[in-house]
Amino acid sequence: MVFAIFSVFTLLTAAGVILSRNVIYSALNLVLCFFGLATLYLLWGATFISMIQILIYAGAIVVLFVFVVMLLNFEKPIDQSVKLPLMLLSGAGAWGLAFLLLRVLSKSVGEIPILESNSGASVRTVSKLLFSQYVWPFEVLTIFLLALIVGIYVLAKPEGEEKK
Amino acid sequence: MNGLDFLIAALKAIVILVAVIQVVPVMIYVERKVAALIQDRPGPNRVGPFGLFQPVADALKFLLKEDPIPHYTNRLLYTLAPFLSLLPACLVIAALPIADKAILFGREVTIQIAELDVSLIYILAIGSLGVYGILFGGWASNNKYSLIGSLRSASQMVSYELPLGLAAVGAVMVFGTFSLREMVLQQEGTLLGFLPNWGIFYQPVGFLIFLISSFAETNRLPFDLPETEAELVAGFHTEYGSMKFATFFMAEYMNLATMAGLMTVMYFGGWHLPWITDAALLELLGSQNLLCLVQVLTYIVKVSCFMFLYVLIRWTLPRFRFDQLLSLSWGSLIPLGLLNIIVSATLMYLIGVKQ
Amino acid sequence: MILSEKLASIGYWTHFVTVALFALGLIGFLIRRNALIVLMSLELMLNAVNLLLVQISMRTGTSEGMVLVVFVITIAAAEVAVGLGIILNLYRMKKTVDLDSFRSLSG
Repeated sequence: MVFAIFSVFTLLTAAGVILSRNVIYSALNLVLCFFGLATLYLLWGATFISMIQILIYAGAIVVLFVFVVMLLNFEKPIDQSVKLPLMLLSGAGAWGLAFLLLRVLSKSVGEIPILESNSGASVRTVSKLLFSQYVWPFEVLTIFLLALIVGIYVLAKPEGEEKK
Repeated sequence: MNGLDFLIAALKAIVILVAVIQVVPVMIYVERKVAALIQDRPGPNRVGPFGLFQPVADALKFLLKEDPIPHYTNRLLYTLAPFLSLLPACLVIAALPIADKAILFGREVTIQIAELDVSLIYILAIGSLGVYGILFGGWASNNKYSLIGSLRSASQMVSYELPLGLAAVGAVMVFGTFSLREMVLQQEGTLLGFLPNWGIFYQPVGFLIFLISSFAETNRLPFDLPETEAELVAGFHTEYGSMKFATFFMAEYMNLATMAGLMTVMYFGGWHLPWITDAALLELLGSQNLLCLVQVLTYIVKVSCFMFLYVLIRWTLPRFRFDQLLSLSWGSLIPLGLLNIIVSATLMYLIGVKQ
Repeated sequence: MILSEKLASIGYWTHFVTVALFALGLIGFLIRRNALIVLMSLELMLNAVNLLLVQISMRTGTSEGMVLVVFVITIAAAEVAVGLGIILNLYRMKKTVDLDSFRSLSG
């Protein structure tokens, strides 16, 4: 029952993200959607992932979005008209894909047996895996982030800076 | 979960939340009296003996004043922003451990609203949501100065979350757990025979980084630029009327109480008295509930010391400039935090601590 | 026992939530012209994938799914930052972030 409430909440706010006229309302709906997802993770017992979700997604990424919205002032509202054929086509395509995915998932994941004792979600096991079996992707990720930071700086530099 | 468990949980939540909200009037009075002492003037002394009822007068003023909503603002966001600021401030209290078990209605009850095994990440995560109230407050006011103030404040809060997290990671490495209750349980007794076994002796640099970052996280002087009283009118809450303004202030003081609580829990032993273990105290006092009361009082005394420190520093130090503020965070505190982690890890490996 | 009861509910309807979230993200990506909202729907799709990974990981009891979720969250954060940098540059060029006005390859 509780799952149903939070699942419906998540889907409603996700619909709010894509359907809002105002960009700030979209960002607010996105925060609520992430909260709904974090609650779902908590209900399934994945406490670490839910806190990481709130910390990074709701606490940093959407803040970045809101910063950018406030820095760029949108004079006239965009999206004044979305053509109906485009909406129908994309809706049919997306929901068709969703139906296909649902069939595939129910067949494959539905047959995995549930283990009784479930300690796979604690911080300790995740970090053990992260540093033993997945240490190469972890280190490569750090170099990747470094390259990204440099790239973002180059992207966002103010124009017309002379070399000193 | 049967009815009695639910009742106990609800009772804990209500009592602790109301107790933390009471910090606000106390802090209003203490702030103005200490400011007056430092500035060599009497301070509030009209309302009641020694001005003790000044917070009551302030609260009445806030409640009875007209609460204007300007017509040029975005009404939804304008009304929502103070509550977006207050909600994380109230939610964070849920994970702070105040005392050990008490015996109520025949069950053992821990004086902590919600015991997670990842309490520290919960506090950092909900604390990082406090940025939204400030952002939307400045945006909804439709005022250039408010917007500048709110963007500055938001970038300051986001920049200082990183040293906060790094200092917390240092403490997590030493204690081996994210759960705050476990951290406090490991801090009893003595260290090397003559020091209390507190976290600050394991992580002095981490404590310093945490202290400085907590000033910046709560927008408190010397990191006060977004709400400076002389420069940007009043920053992001310029356009706000009586009760909404009061809500912003309540959120700020409750955030202060939370940061002070977090510092006592991680670095100063939480509810433990300096050299005395809980078992010895239980033998001395005899009753579990009396021990719990002593623990709660110890916690309150420690948090009050930190709140007094916050007020003292506010009226003593000058303000940072905004670029100095950001270069302190990115240029000094984050490298120091990383260095702290590396040195702590190396020392722990050399001493041979097994987790 | 309560946990395994909750885990047993990972079945048809939770997969429906996952694919519905993905479909909503996809529709938003295709329909909206505002570049920021397109980025937000991209985040929705990534979150749908995270949801599925957590479901599978909790159901089988291993934590490799959780490790993948950590990687996906990190990379999503980084990609949002780069995307916003690109949007800022788009705004500098044409004073708007309407994706329909970026039709020509030059200028």
